[in-house]
Amino acid sequence: MTDAQLVAQAQNGDLPAFEELVKKYQREIYGLACRMVSDPEEAKDLAQQAFMQAFIHIRSFRQDAQFRTWLFRIAINQCYNFLKNRKKFGDPVDADEVVLVGEGDSPEEELVTQDERRRVYAALEKLPPKQQAVLTLKVEQGLSYQEISEVLGGTPGAARVNYCQALKTLKKYLKSEEENEVAMHTSPAVAARVPRG
Amino acid sequence: MKWQCTLLQRWLPEYPEGDLPAFWKGRLKSHLDRCPACRAEQAALRQVVEAIQSVPKADLGPEFWSEFSREMHLKLVRAAQEGQMAPARSVWWGRIPYLVGAPALAALLLWVAVGYLNPERPGLTPAPQVAQQESVSPEKLAAAPQPPAVALEEPKNFVNVAKTNGDEVAPDDELDDLDATLAGMTPQEREAFLKKLSQHEKDGSCLTRYSAISWA
Repeated sequence: MTDAQLVAQAQNGDLPAFEELVKKYQREIYGLACRMVSDPEEAKDLAQQAFMQAFIHIRSFRQDAQFRTWLFRIAINQCYNFLKNRKKFGDPVDADEVVLVGEGDSPEEELVTQDERRRVYAALEKLPPKQQAVLTLKVEQGLSYQEISEVLGGTPGAARVNYCQALKTLKKYLKSEEENEVAMHTSPAVAARVPRG
Repeated sequence: MKWQCTLLQRWLPEYPEGDLPAFWKGRLKSHLDRCPACRAEQAALRQVVEAIQSVPKADLGPEFWSEFSREMHLKLVRAAQEGQMAPARSVWWGRIPYLVGAPALAALLLWVAVGYLNPERPGLTPAPQVAQQESVSPEKLAAAPQPPAVALEEPKNFVNVAKTNGDEVAPDDELDDLDATLAGMTPQEREAFLKKLSQHEKDGSCLTRYSAISWA
């Protein structure tokens, strides 16, 4: 059954049809929220809130847009609100809290992967929410610029510029994270070489 | 960095297999062949994308998703029972206030504009100056300090020349011209000329310049 048919049924109050839509998109919405807020528990709540908002307002959804992009827009708005509140009240998230599957095979590989992941997460967290959203939608969800512009507003050209800017900023942050890490790893060795007393 | 590099680097993340117009693809290709800085930038951006993609997607296993679905089901059922679903937004019923209100507002503005700008509207016709003057009581006028009287009488010998067209000509010049004209005449001619001049003045056909001259 297509999205349009499921949406039409859900608009008539068919709950199982909407639950079908939830099952279809729950991983994408959860992944998006997880990437945006870097907190699995909050991401789960936000994904559920997004689906609830979609269910409440499903009758105002018009079929001239894609249900998927409409859902992404709702989820991103939820994430924006959450990030705004977190920034306001302060609740920093440790990147170690983010539990993901697909770990390395050996413990060594796992450590390297974790380090790399921590670095990427730390850099991603520093990005402005809009750039985070653009990166996630483009790189992870594979949306086109046209679809990104439908989700975030603006034009496809603006989405492309935002994406390019986000990559450049992330590159800068990753470089600085790398330098910090190198400094942290080398400092004990340097300290050991410094003569004492 | 050259301006061309700045311009083309906006398209770098899409090169070579991305969503890129053929024109920009060709330009980028030729530019990257001869610009090492942009090649390095492209490699760096590609590394960043790979770093993001290398971070595994969050997937917490079937138990997590079954719990997620169960919680969602409970929330959805509760919302449906409580009637939280917003009503459908009709395509044109909801726009009736705008469809009716906009022309009504336009008509109102037009009526107000016509009413206020029409000078013949009785309510807004400005009161004539006379009426304003009449409203001042004679007692007040009497009590008001009178300005000093200025002698407005023209001197009797003043020769008023050429006021009709608004251009004032110095009377001396006119007199000189007339004197010069009269000087070249014999007494008979002068008398005839002056008579003719006075006759014309009576007819009103005389040049105003000359008619106003009082000495004749």
